Amino acid sequence: MATKACLIVSLWISCLLATSHATTFSSLQRTIVLTASPQAGQVLKAGEDNITLTWSLNTTFPSGTDSTYKDVTVELCYAPISQKDRGWRKTVDELAKDKTCQHNIVKKPYTSSNITFTWTVRKDVPGATYFVRAYALDSAGKKVAFGQTTDAHKTTNLFEVEAVTGRHVSLDIASVCFSAFSIFSLFGFFFMDKRK
Amino acid sequence: MEVSNGAEETYQKKFALPVDSEHKSTEFRLFSVAAPHMRAFHLSWISFFACFVSSFAAPPLLPVIRDNLGLTATDIGNAGIAAVSGAVFARIAMGTACDLFGPRLASAALTLLTAPAVYCTAIANSPTSFLLVRFFTGFSLATFVSTQFWMSSLFSSKVVGTANGVAGGWGNLGGGATQLIMPLVFNLIERIGATQFTAWRIAFFVPGLFQTLSAYGIFFLGQDLPDGNYSQLHKSGDKHKDSFKKVLYHAVTNYRGWILALTYGYCFGVELTIDNIIAQYFYDRFNVRLHTAGIIAASFGIANLFSRPGGGILSDIVANRYGMRGRLWTLWIVQTLGGVFCILLGKVGSLGVSVAVMLIFSVFVQAACGLTFGVAPFVSRRSLGFISGMTGGGGNVGAVLTQVIFFRGSHYTTETGITLMGVMIVCCTLVIMLIHFPQWGGMFCGPSSKGATEEDYYLSEWTAAEQDQGFHTASLKFSENSRNERGKRVQPAPTPTLATPNAYV
Repeated sequence: MATKACLIVSLWISCLLATSHATTFSSLQRTIVLTASPQAGQVLKAGEDNITLTWSLNTTFPSGTDSTYKDVTVELCYAPISQKDRGWRKTVDELAKDKTCQHNIVKKPYTSSNITFTWTVRKDVPGATYFVRAYALDSAGKKVAFGQTTDAHKTTNLFEVEAVTGRHVSLDIASVCFSAFSIFSLFGFFFMDKRK
Repeated sequence: MEVSNGAEETYQKKFALPVDSEHKSTEFRLFSVAAPHMRAFHLSWISFFACFVSSFAAPPLLPVIRDNLGLTATDIGNAGIAAVSGAVFARIAMGTACDLFGPRLASAALTLLTAPAVYCTAIANSPTSFLLVRFFTGFSLATFVSTQFWMSSLFSSKVVGTANGVAGGWGNLGGGATQLIMPLVFNLIERIGATQFTAWRIAFFVPGLFQTLSAYGIFFLGQDLPDGNYSQLHKSGDKHKDSFKKVLYHAVTNYRGWILALTYGYCFGVELTIDNIIAQYFYDRFNVRLHTAGIIAASFGIANLFSRPGGGILSDIVANRYGMRGRLWTLWIVQTLGGVFCILLGKVGSLGVSVAVMLIFSVFVQAACGLTFGVAPFVSRRSLGFISGMTGGGGNVGAVLTQVIFFRGSHYTTETGITLMGVMIVCCTLVIMLIHFPQWGGMFCGPSSKGATEEDYYLSEWTAAEQDQGFHTASLKFSENSRNERGKRVQPAPTPTLATPNAYV
C-alpha cells in the first residue's frame, strides 16, 4: 500500500512539474512569414500534386529575435472545419497535447534569408481542409516561434486535399467473390442436409 | 466409467464421456475433442470467437479508418451502436432457429450469411457504408445463442454452467484478441508494401476467412444432439419437430426469461459497451498512446479467458450444495459487485489504479455473464432456444441503451458516463430477487408449499394431447436430471406422482 501511495504521489508530482514547464501556443510569437502555393479553396490530390512553400523571418521584428532559432519545422495542419466533432484533431493551447498539426512536411536548419521548398502531398494524408504552419525550434528542440499561411482565426487561405481511397479493383473483385462463395456454401449445406 | 445397469452400459459404450439418460455428458473434459460432446464444444467456441473478432475488428483500426473515410466522432459512435444493435433481434431469431433446425445448421448458416459483410468492409467508402457493414457484421454475435443452446443440449445440469461459461467466455475472448490481432495483421500487410489506406482493407479478409472456415468446420464435424442431427432425428421420428407458435408462446409467457434478458443487459451489455469505448477513454483521459490504449482495451476482453468460465463453474459449484437458490444468490452478488466497481472506475483519476479497477470490474461483470447462463437453461425446456435468444438479445439491448444514454454526444463526460452506468447496473440487478421456481424456490422464498416438482414445471409446457403423443419425453428426462437443483441442504421435495401435473407459470 505504501509503495502504491509513493508511486501515485511521484506520478502526480512529475505531472505537475511537466505542466509547469509546458510550452503553450499562445506564448509563441508570430515572427515567421510563411506562404504556400495553393490558392484559397484549391483542391490538391494526395500523391500527385505539389505544394511550394517559402518562409523567412518577418523583418519588422527587432534584430536578435531569431538568435535562439536553430531549426524550422513545417507542418500540414487541420482547419477548424476538419476538426469539428473529431477529438483526435483537437486544438489545445499546451503544445505537447495539441493535435492540430499531425503531418510533418519538412525540417530544415534555420537561416534568416528566404527558403523555398516543394513538397508532394503524401499518399497517407487524409481528405480534409488544411493550412500550413512553420515552427521555429531552439537548440533543445523546443518551439519558440511560429508562422502560418492563414490568419489567427484560421479562416482565410485554406485549401483542401483529396485523399487516395485505398480501394483497388482487385480488392472489389475479391470481396464479391468471397462473399458469393460464402452464400453458395450455405445453399450447398442446406441441400446436403436435406438429402441425408 | 460407472456401470449402473445393463441398459445403461450399452449407452455408455457409444460415448467417450459418461452420459446421463438424455445422453448428455456429465463431465466436461476441456482437452478432449471426442465426438459429439467435446468436439461440438470446441467447434462452437471457435466459431463464436471468430464472430467476435469480426464484429470488433474495426475499433483497433479506427485511427486509420476514420481518416480514410472522413469519419466524425458521431459517425464512429453510431457505427459502434449499430454493431451491437443488429444482434438484438438476430439473437431472438437464432433462438427460434435452434429450437426448430438445431444449433449446427443455425450457427453455420448465420456465420456464412454474415461473412459477406466482413468481406465488404474492405470496399466501404463513406460513413454510411461503414455503419452498414458494422451493422450487418454485428448480426454474427447471435452465434452466442447457438453456442449456449448447443452446450445446454449436450451437457447435463451438473456441468452445464461450466460448459456454457467456458464456451461463452472463450468466444467473448475474440473481442479482446481482435484488438491485438488486427493491428498486427495491418502492420504485416503494410510491411509487405501496401499503403495504409489499402492495408486496413486487406486486413479484413482475415476475420472473414476465419468465419467462413469455422462454418465449414461446424457443418461437417458437428452434431446437434448426442444421438444425431435434427434432420435425421426428425425423419426417424425420434425427435418431434416443434411448432414455432408454441415455442414462442411458452418463451414469451415465462416472466423469468424477461428478467434474465434485463439483467444480462447489465453484465454482457456493459461488456460490449466497454469494448467499444474503453480504448478511447484511456487515450483521451490519460493521454496514453493509441497502441497502449489498445493493449489496455484488449486486456479487458482477454479476462474472459477465465472470468466468464469462472462464473459458470462457480454457478455449478454453488448449485451442488445450495441448488438453484444458490445460483440466483451468487448471480445477484457478483453482478452487483460488478456495478460497484464500475462506479469506482469512473471516479478513479490515475492511470495505474484505473487499469487495476478496470480489470477487477471486468472479472466481476464477465463472471456475472457466466452465472446468468447457469440459470437460463432451467427456465424452459421446450423453448430453451428462444429463452437463450431473449436473454442474449437482452444483453445487446443493454449495450445499445448504455451507449445511447451515457456515451453518445457530449452530454456526459466519459468518466461520468461510466459511473452512472455502474449505478444503473446495481439498480437493474435487483430484479433477480423476483425470480422464483415453484420446485426450487427463489432468493428469499423456498419451494412452493403446494409441493411442486420438476415434472410439474417442465411438463406444464406441453398440453395433454401433446403428451399423449409422446412429444414431451425430452422434458421428462430433463426434469429427472435437474433434480440436483434442489441442493443438498433442503428437505427432499415431493417425488412426482402419476396424476396430471398442475400448470405452473
